Amino acid sequence: MKTTKSESIYRLNCFVENKPGVLARIVGLISGRGYNIQTLNVGPTEDGTVSRMRIDVLATDRVVNQIILQLRNQVNVIEVTSRRQ
Amino acid sequence: MKPSKAVRNGARALVESLERAGVDTVFGYPGGNVLDVFDCLRDSRLRFILNRHEQGAVHCADGYSRATGRPGVVLVTSGPGLTNTITGLGCANMDGVPLVVICGQVELNRIGTDAFQEADTTGLTRAVSKHNFLIKNADEIPETVAQAFYIATHGKPGPVVIDLPCDVQRAATSATYPERISLRAYHPECAASARDVATLAKWLNAAKRPVIYAGGGVIAADAARDLTAMAEKANIPVVTTLMGIGSFDTAHPLAMGMAGIYGTAAAKTALEKADFILALGVRFNDRVTEGAKTSRGVKIVQVDCDPSAIDKNVVVTMGIVADIKDLLTVVASRVKTASHPDWLSVLEALKPIKPKYVPLHRGVIMPQSVIDAVAEATRGRCVLVTDVGQHQMFAARRFPHSRPRRFITSGGMGAMGFGIPAAIGAAIGGAEGPIVAIVGDGGAQMTAEELLLAARERLPIAFIVMNNGTLGMIRQMQKRYFIGDYSNPDFVLLAKAYGLASARVSDPEKLGAAVAKAVRAKKPYLLEVVVDGEATV
Repeated sequence: MKTTKSESIYRLNCFVENKPGVLARIVGLISGRGYNIQTLNVGPTEDGTVSRMRIDVLATDRVVNQIILQLRNQVNVIEVTSRRQ
Repeated sequence: MKPSKAVRNGARALVESLERAGVDTVFGYPGGNVLDVFDCLRDSRLRFILNRHEQGAVHCADGYSRATGRPGVVLVTSGPGLTNTITGLGCANMDGVPLVVICGQVELNRIGTDAFQEADTTGLTRAVSKHNFLIKNADEIPETVAQAFYIATHGKPGPVVIDLPCDVQRAATSATYPERISLRAYHPECAASARDVATLAKWLNAAKRPVIYAGGGVIAADAARDLTAMAEKANIPVVTTLMGIGSFDTAHPLAMGMAGIYGTAAAKTALEKADFILALGVRFNDRVTEGAKTSRGVKIVQVDCDPSAIDKNVVVTMGIVADIKDLLTVVASRVKTASHPDWLSVLEALKPIKPKYVPLHRGVIMPQSVIDAVAEATRGRCVLVTDVGQHQMFAARRFPHSRPRRFITSGGMGAMGFGIPAAIGAAIGGAEGPIVAIVGDGGAQMTAEELLLAARERLPIAFIVMNNGTLGMIRQMQKRYFIGDYSNPDFVLLAKAYGLASARVSDPEKLGAAVAKAVRAKKPYLLEVVVDGEATV
C-alpha cells in the first residue's frame, strides 16, 4: 500500500445498533469525506441488537480523529475506538 | 410504549404524535402516497400551510424555526415530493436548523421495485439531514416522532426525515406517544470540566488582546445575553460570523462587525492581531479562515456543543464541548473586569462598521442605499430576511442588527431561493414585524411561486427585489461583465398576478419613500428596486 508521509492505516472498531441503513450511513460518512475504506468487516455480537464493524482506512491522524468524532455523533453508533496499524 | 385501547390507523397516530410534540404548524404539499395523513390533518389542531413547491415548504419551515426557535415541520409526498426537499434540507443541515420532515413512501412491499413515485428517501437524505428514519410498522410511529423531535433539537440542531410508507399509514396501531425518550446511543448532553473552565478563565484574564468570535451556535444556545454580559465585564471586543449576526448588538461599542471575506476591517484585524480568541459556536468556516488551518501561535479556545466541530477546520489550543449558555454562566463569575484600552483603541480606529460607498452613476440607485433605506424606514426594528448574493452581504454588513433571530439568511449552503419562503415562514411563526425580505432578481425567480401563499395568507411582508439585471455576486467573482441572455420578467406584473400590491422604483430620490411605503403597508407588498448592476461588495 502506497502511503504519503503522514498517512497510515487506522482500524476503527465500531459498535452500532443492528438496524437497517446503519452500515450505509457509516460507510457514506467515511466515503463522503473522500477517504477510501481498505477493509470492512461487519458481524453480530453476543447482544443481537448490536453489530460490530471493523473498518480500515488510510488517512492522517487528524482526519481519523474527525471521522471518529463524526461517527460518535451518529444516532446509531454506540462506541468507536481506533488503532493505528 | 404503553399499550392503549385506542386503536387508530398510522396516519392518525402520526398526527396525534405531532400534536403531542407541541407542533402548531405544518408546511407542505400533498401527493398520492401521503393522502391518509392529509385526511387526518383536516380535523386536527394543526394549521396546514399549502406551499406551491416542496423546496419552498422546507425553506418556509426553516424560516419559521429560525424566527421562533421552535422546530419546523414539513409534510410531503414520496418520490418527486421528497427530491424537491433536498436543497431545503441541505440548507437547514448546514446552518443547524431543527426540522422534522415527513414524507410518504410507496407500500412496503414495493420499496426497491422502481414503483411509481418511489425514491430511496433514506439514501437520498442521508447526506443532507442529521438523521433519518424509515418506519416499517405503525406501532413505531409515536416513538419515532418523539425521537425525531429530540434528535432535531438536541446537540447541534438539524433536520430529521421520517419516511412513512402509505400502507403503514393505513395499518392499525394502539401505540401511544412515549412519556420519556430513550435513545440507546445518542447522548448529546455535555458539560465543561472544572479544569477547562479554570484554564479558560486564566487565559482570558491574562490576555492582552482578547477577542470573542461568536457564531450561530450562540443563537441556537439562546446565549446572546450571556455573551453580552461576558464581553462587557472584561471589555472584550466581539466579532461575529454571518450566522452569528444578532448575537451581539452591532451598535454596541465592543461590536467589531462580521468576520470573513466580506467582513469588516475591524473584525479582520481583531482576529489577526488577537493573542486570545474565544470561539463560541463556530466551525472556522473557509469564508472566514480563507484556508488557514493553524492558529499561528494565537491561543484559541473553541466552545461548541458538537464534539466534531472542535478542530474541524482549525486546530485550536483547547476545545470545550459544552452548552455555550451554561459555560458562559460558569466562566463569567471567574472573569476579572478589565479595560484593554490600547487594544480597543487599535480596533476603534478601524471602525466604522458600515462601509462607505460612492455612487457609480448619476441617477442610479446603489444597492447599499436600499439597505440603508430599510434601516431608516423601520428604525432597525424589523425581521430582515435575505436571499443569497450581493444583497445578502450588503444586508449583513450595513443593517443595524441588534437582537437574535431577527436576521434570517442561508449561511453555509448559500441556497438561492431561500429568501421569499423563509420570510413567509417567519411571518407564519408570528415573528414580531415588520418583516422585510430582501432578495436579488436571481433568487426571486427560484421560489417566486410562494408569493401566492403570502397573498392568500395576507402576510405583512415587504418583498424588496433588488434588480441589477445580473447575478451580481457571480459577475463580481468573474471580474468581468456577465454577458449572456440573462433577462428578467416584469416583477411588478408578476407580483400583481400573484395578488400582491407592487411598485417599481429606479430614481434614488424616490427610494426612501418607496421603501417606507412597502414596509408600512402591513400587507404583502413587492417593491422592485432597479439598482446599479456594476456595484460590488
